[in-house]
Parts: sequence; structure tokens; C-alpha cells
Amino acid sequence: MVKLRKVTALALSLLLTGAVLAGCGKGNQQQTGSGGEQGGQSQEQRTLNVVMGLGEEEWQVMREKIFPKFEQENNVKINAYQVEASQVVQQLEAMKNAGKMEIDLITQDNMHLPVLVNKGLVEDLTEYKHLIPDTAIPGVVQVGEFGGKTYFLPYRPNVEINYYNEAKFNEYGLQPPKTWDELLQVAKTFHEKEGVGKVGLKLNMAGDMVIQIVEFIYQAGGDPLKLNDEGSVKAFNFLKELYPYLNPDSAKADWNTTNRFIAQDSFYLAANWPFGVGIIVRDGGKKEIKAYGGWSGPVKAAKLLGGESIAIPVGAPNKDLALKFAEYLMSKEVQETLAAELAWPSYRTDAYAKVEDWQKPYFEAINEAMKNAVPRPPVLYWDELNKAITDAFREIVLEGKDTKATLDKYAEVVRQAAAKYGE
Amino acid sequence: MLARIRRWVVRHRLELALVAPMATYVFGLTLWPVCKAIFWSFSNQAGELTLANYRQLFGDSRFASAFLNTVFIVVVGTFSELCFGLFLAWCLARNFKLRGLVRSLLLVPMGVPTLVSAINFMYVFDNSGYLNELLIKTGLATQPINWASGGLRTLLMVVAADMWKVTPSVMLILLAGLESIPEQLYEAAAVDGATPWQTFRRIVLPLLKPAITTAVIIRGIDAFRIFELPLVLAGRNTPFLATFAYDEYQTYHNIHTSGAASTVLLVLILVFAVLYLKAAKEGDDLA
Repeated sequence: MVKLRKVTALALSLLLTGAVLAGCGKGNQQQTGSGGEQGGQSQEQRTLNVVMGLGEEEWQVMREKIFPKFEQENNVKINAYQVEASQVVQQLEAMKNAGKMEIDLITQDNMHLPVLVNKGLVEDLTEYKHLIPDTAIPGVVQVGEFGGKTYFLPYRPNVEINYYNEAKFNEYGLQPPKTWDELLQVAKTFHEKEGVGKVGLKLNMAGDMVIQIVEFIYQAGGDPLKLNDEGSVKAFNFLKELYPYLNPDSAKADWNTTNRFIAQDSFYLAANWPFGVGIIVRDGGKKEIKAYGGWSGPVKAAKLLGGESIAIPVGAPNKDLALKFAEYLMSKEVQETLAAELAWPSYRTDAYAKVEDWQKPYFEAINEAMKNAVPRPPVLYWDELNKAITDAFREIVLEGKDTKATLDKYAEVVRQAAAKYGE
Repeated sequence: MLARIRRWVVRHRLELALVAPMATYVFGLTLWPVCKAIFWSFSNQAGELTLANYRQLFGDSRFASAFLNTVFIVVVGTFSELCFGLFLAWCLARNFKLRGLVRSLLLVPMGVPTLVSAINFMYVFDNSGYLNELLIKTGLATQPINWASGGLRTLLMVVAADMWKVTPSVMLILLAGLESIPEQLYEAAAVDGATPWQTFRRIVLPLLKPAITTAVIIRGIDAFRIFELPLVLAGRNTPFLATFAYDEYQTYHNIHTSGAASTVLLVLILVFAVLYLKAAKEGDDLA
């Protein structure tokens, strides 16, 4: 009896050890098993592992309207994985270091591209640049270029549009602001009438905030890479002046929560990505929420070009097939479907035929914003710049420190970061 | 020597086999990552050993703020939870109707995931949340209070949310301590004419000391690691050591500074862990 117990305990122990080791081992079998033999199809069917960072609704469109045709035409099973943009770097780095790249293609947030190049995680696709059609918006193509080489193919450009609550603007006799002065006036009026600010900025001390600050710097004619030029100083001074009249939820506003703040009337005016149209207007029924292209600064109107680009990880097991899939994602047919189904702006100028009537005013706002869109500076030290701008904002706007002196300090930090990368 | 080791292994092969899964788990998923984080904290991108990460860390005002905020949560949070937990345990140690139901209800927060409780409190402390609504309706405030604006009020908001989540565990520890005090001592105190306060001060508190020490140390260790609650409720404006390390790694992809911050956090927790082991030993001796 005792012996039986010992043998059972030993067997269970070995089983557990095996399970732990198997768990730490490769997950490849699971992936191929889910697609390779499905439906008794040909044994030659291949598997394409794709990483994207999408919402639930976006995945549904991908799985039902985009993937099936490519799978059928190429006798391939697409295994698509949800990975947040900020996690992609760690995942690819781990696979590369382990010498076992399992991902064939990624679509990555344009704000996270430099680190992929910097760490040597993505293939140089310069020789495949001819796959990009002539109808592509030039600025979108530039986003994927670093040091004269093309690492990313265009796929989904994005630009923030300014949402506003038309009913509330009408109630107080206001117009959506077109200049900084008007923006300040609108913010002050809402603050005075409602007792709390109703203009929202994404000031969450993360990437979302940096995007907006860089836009303000460009609008003032500054250069975020210098950070202490006249335009940058103007931008930070304006933010300092505007800050007391903003809605306090700005501190928690990001690309996701901003939709909620707009829908719940915390914000009557805020910039966010166009996917909010579907959530706020179509799903939330907030028809009084309208959109326009945004305001100009003292020098110009400017929006930062966001969105996603396609890349192929270094060592991808099915590079040829991945390139074919990239071409498919860039095709007019796919781009039209994505614009109509998900209100995604297209990188092609010829892909808006399927857009519905109610969506058209919002696409006009997108196109208006896109006209002023500038690609993010393609620098490898974006993380350091990101941090410098965040810290500068904290010290200048939140702690009230002197603008010029603070920006001088962080300009030096940025200069050193640039030097570190030889830029 | 080798023969002795071999004999020892042969003699203990079953024990070794039984320990292997947990050892693999602990080494692979705890010790190895911890060692790696410590190594990162003392190295640069080129893999050379350096103290630059710590110099950068200690010169960063955000880290200083994260450190102070964490210490505040540990001290104020733990003290508040202890007082409130003791009060609840004291109440539950009495005999009253529906005691079992009340006890079960008080334990509910323990079963709620921290992230979910953070979302719940977001609805309470939002600018248009329940608390502001209540304050305005009762005339205690004329404008919504921005609880996440930073400073003391944000820290107190985090303490309040943390208290709701973890006070039940403190209460359980103290209740076990209270229930272990013999009834005869209360009876003897009553016979001697002791007031309830004197009974509490002279009998309950001294006998509850081991339980209080255990609760304080366990909560202290846990409070140092506070992460989800401040991240959801206060955003990045009010950093804590864990959220600082997370931000450095996740937002700025700086594993070295993140590793340094994590190592500082680890040292603080280890100090507490040593205190805990010491206190637990003293508690055993007392028992």
C-alpha cells in the first residue's frame, strides 16, 4: 500500500515536471494543429502566423471578411494573435534571442516602429517597395522608412480627429475652435458655464500625451527633436495657460478612455482616433457628437500621422507567403472593406467607394486632418524623446517650472540620446 | 565525496522527485527572472557592469516621488487597515444574530480581483462619480473634486480603495487572534471591575500582539507591491515604485532603469520579509 502511494506520488510528480517543462517549451504544435489539418484539406496547406493589435469588433471583420479569401486562394491557414503594440517588441525579441522566430508578419502601431528597427527585429523590405501602389499617400509611406531603407509597408494610416458635442456648443453659442485663441476661449467658456472644464486633452503621461504635445509643437512651428526652440517654448507656454481650464479627466484620458469621456459628456471637445466614431456614434447612439479636422497653431495646422504598418520579423519562417499577405492587405479590395466596415482611413486615395452616408462627414474630418498630417520623426531615440517630453510637461505644466530653462535641460537629454544612436 | 553525494541522492530520490516540480517552478519563474532583473540593474545596453542606472534613478524626481508615495501607502494604508480590521474583528468576536452572514459579506472583497475593485472605485472617485455626486448633493462641495489630481488627496483615495480590498484579510488574522484569547480572562477582568477600555488595553492588545505583528508585516510586504489600484485610479501622475518600474519597462523600453527600480523594491520587501520571519519566530516563542 505504501509502495503504491509512493509510485503514484512519483508518477504525479514526474507528470507535473513534464507539464512545467512542456509549458516552457515551444507552442508550435498547438498552432499548426489548429489549422493544418482543418476540414481534411490538403496536407500541403501552410500556416501563416500573424500578430495584430485589434479590438473585438476589428477581429470579427478580419476573421469574417478579410482572412477567408486569402486563405482560400493560397491554401493557407492564418493563425492570428492579439498582441498589444507595446508587447510586440518584447515578444519578437524573446523569439529572436531564442533563435526560434515563429511570427511571419506583424502589423505594428506607427508610434512603436523605431524600436523594432533599433533592435534589429524586422526585415529590410526596400527591395519590395514596388509592392506599394502609386495611389498611396506619400507621407504614409515615409513613416516606414528609416535611414533611407524601407522596413515597413503602409497598411492603415490614422490621424486623430477632433470630436465635439454639437448640442453643447450650440447651447453656449460656440463654434468648434479653429485656432489656439479660440480653443482657449472655448475652454474658458465651458469652465465658467459648467463650473468644470469640458475640453479634454490626453494628458495621461504616456504615449498618447506625447502625440498631442508634438502636434502642439508642430503647430507653433517648433521641432520636437530640438525641444527648446521658439515653437516648442510657445507650445508648452500655451499648454500651461490652457491646463487650468481642461477637464480633470484629461489625466486619465488615453485612446480608449477618451471615447467614454466623450460619450458620458465629461468632454465636450477632445481629439481621438477615428475608430471612436463607431463606438460613440453608431454603437452609443450619440448623434450629437460631430467631428472636424482640428485647430491651427500660430504657424500652421498639424496632426501626427498614426496608424499601423506591416513588417516581417527577422527570421520569419514563411517570408514569401507573408509578403503575399502584405500585398493582399494593401490591396484596394481589402482597404475598401476596412474603410466601410471599421471606419479605418485608407493609405490609398482610391479606397472609399463603400463608405456609408452617415460615415461621410466623419471621413471628411479624417481627410481634412490627413491633409495636415505629418509623419512622426523617424528617429531611433523615440523612447528617450518620449520620456523627455513627458518629464518636461510634468515640470512645466504641472509643477509650474520655467518653460525655457526646463526645455533647455531636456533638449540636452534629447541631444545626448541622438548622439548615442549616431543621429 | 562524489560517492557520498551519489548515495545521498539515491537515498532521497523520492523526495527529490517530489520537490522537483516546485523547484523548477520557483527557480524558472521566480528566482531566474529576479536574478535577471538584478543583473539588468547593474548593466548597460552593452552588457557592461555599471552603477549608472542607480545614479539615474536616484537623480530622478519621479522616482523620489514614487518612493515617498509607496512609503506613504505602506505606513498610512497598513495602519488604517489594522485599525479598521481590528474594529471589525472585535465586532465579529461578539455573539449576535446573523454573525455568520455578516462575516461572509465582509469577506467578499477578498474574492474580488484587484483590477475589478479598481474599476469599481473608479466609478466612486471619478469626477462625475458617486462620491462627488454625494458631496455636491449634500452641499459639502460646490464643484466636483478631482481626486486624481495628485498629492495627499490622491494618496488617500488609493488608501481608501486598498482598505476596502485588503481589510478583510487583516480582519481574519486578528479575529483568529481574538478567538484564541481564553474567555476566562474576560470573566476575571469583569469580576475585578475592569471597564471595556481597560479590558481591551490591558488584556486584548497584549495577547493580540503576535497576530497584529503578523498582520502588519504581511500587509506591509503586500503594500509595497501596490500596482493596479494606483495605475487605474490615479493614472501615471502619481507614481509608485511598482508602476514606476512598469512604466520604465513598458513605456520607455528601458529594462535597466526598470531593473534598478525593481531591485530597490525587492530590497525594501526583503527587509520587511526578514522582519516578518523574525516577528513570526517571536510570535511562536510567545505562543
